[in-house]
Amino acid sequence: MVEISVNDVGMVYSRNETVALEGVTLDVEKGEFISLLGPSGCGKTTLLRIIANLLEPTSGTVTVAGGTPEQARKNRKYGIVFQRPVLQSWRTVRKNIELPLEIMHVPPEERRARSDAMLKMIRLRNFVDAYPDELSGGMQQRVGIARALVIEPEILLMDEPFSALDEFTRERLQGDLLSIWQESKKTIVFVTHNIAEAVYLSDRVCVFSPRPGRLSAVVDVKLPRPRPPEIRDTAEFVEYVARVRGSFEGI
Amino acid sequence: MEQSLRSRIGSVALPALFAVLLLFLWQTQLLHRMLGTDTFVLPLPRHIAQILVDNPVKIAENLRATCSVMFSGLAIGCLLGYGISVAAALFPKWGSGGLRVIGAFNAVPIVALAPVVINLTRDASDDVEVRSTIAKTIVVALLCAVAMSIGAYRGLTDLQPFAEDLLKSYAADRKTVFLKLRLPNSVPHIFIALRVIVPTSVISALITEYFAEHVIGIGRMIRDNITLAQYATAWAYIVVACALGIASYAVLMLAQRLICGRRWRI
Repeated sequence: MVEISVNDVGMVYSRNETVALEGVTLDVEKGEFISLLGPSGCGKTTLLRIIANLLEPTSGTVTVAGGTPEQARKNRKYGIVFQRPVLQSWRTVRKNIELPLEIMHVPPEERRARSDAMLKMIRLRNFVDAYPDELSGGMQQRVGIARALVIEPEILLMDEPFSALDEFTRERLQGDLLSIWQESKKTIVFVTHNIAEAVYLSDRVCVFSPRPGRLSAVVDVKLPRPRPPEIRDTAEFVEYVARVRGSFEGI
Repeated sequence: MEQSLRSRIGSVALPALFAVLLLFLWQTQLLHRMLGTDTFVLPLPRHIAQILVDNPVKIAENLRATCSVMFSGLAIGCLLGYGISVAAALFPKWGSGGLRVIGAFNAVPIVALAPVVINLTRDASDDVEVRSTIAKTIVVALLCAVAMSIGAYRGLTDLQPFAEDLLKSYAADRKTVFLKLRLPNSVPHIFIALRVIVPTSVISALITEYFAEHVIGIGRMIRDNITLAQYATAWAYIVVACALGIASYAVLMLAQRLICGRRWRI
């Protein structure tokens, strides 16, 4: 079943006539983990923002969870994670996770139960009452992921969520993300500029090329699941990385 | 922790030590020799203290007049200024431009603003005391409102990247964005603005008293006693004015610590 359908989508920023995206067509299956991969300026973040209804495309159509992106946003069909954790400094870890539930007028007892479950999942139960600036960058990003998942969305949109983290923390969180995905079977659209990250995580890697931003290749990653961290050292993995790298045009 | 404790002690102890040294030089008249002045223009601390002790009723009466102008002006001005900043943030098209115009008010000196406001409010009441208090309060409130509107506007609009997108992704309406994001985001900016506003309210209250019809207040007493060459009395009121400024700033710092705590680091 198709969860997200992108049909011939184009995006031209009127301010400077920049063509950010041109003729992108892509279907994302329900429960699929898909990566949008490319260098900066290739339009991958633009496409994610269009799917999230934070941007209107200048041409083409998008359907998300059977409706328009606006309906999907208003019905809270997706949770989003940004490059930065975007935590509110005046809220504790628990209160940050409960923020979307407050907006949805979920009663306090249920908010508490759901944030408890999230805190357990991201292994931050000892930090419930900590404030964001008392946490490391990786912990902050985990809180951001919990906040996206607490509304139990069908879809998880992630915009380079690990790009600001060090290599060790990033690999750990990639593992965490895979086990969360394995448990919840959500559809995940993951934007990254890191080839190995895209290969390790995804079912399919969509390779974007810049100027104008367009979808230049889609690589199916048929590595077995669940994928242990050591899979990165196998010949098969390295081969996939080489194949994805080879599919970039003119960079 | 130890480091911060030590630096905190240092930040209190060093100024205190300096004050003690100054008082010593002053009382022993070494200061007079250094400045080439005499004990008539710069009376001895003991003399000034004696005046403070001998006139508690009169000083309290003037202090009360100054405080009531200062605090009501401060309160009205801050509310007005915050209201202006909210309006500017809600209507961004003319908001930032409007604030720039208000910012120009900052350049008007108190000595120019005070007589104008006192003239404009001449018909506000038949009672000299009432209309003087109104005029003085307006001057203080105007100056506080200007500083608050500019500071709070930054807090309401200067958001973390993606913070607004995040709330939008949860289908939050404008009211929710305001209550859950802009309002709390402005809290530290309010306190930063208050660091300027509180001393401004003291100074503007003192100076406006110079020009008011009704002769009362700490500032007015400083001026009138200097005019009458009652330097010791003038110095006694200067001490009271300093105490008022320091005390109000200390209250602000305490309130900031209580309200901001770990939530808003300034």
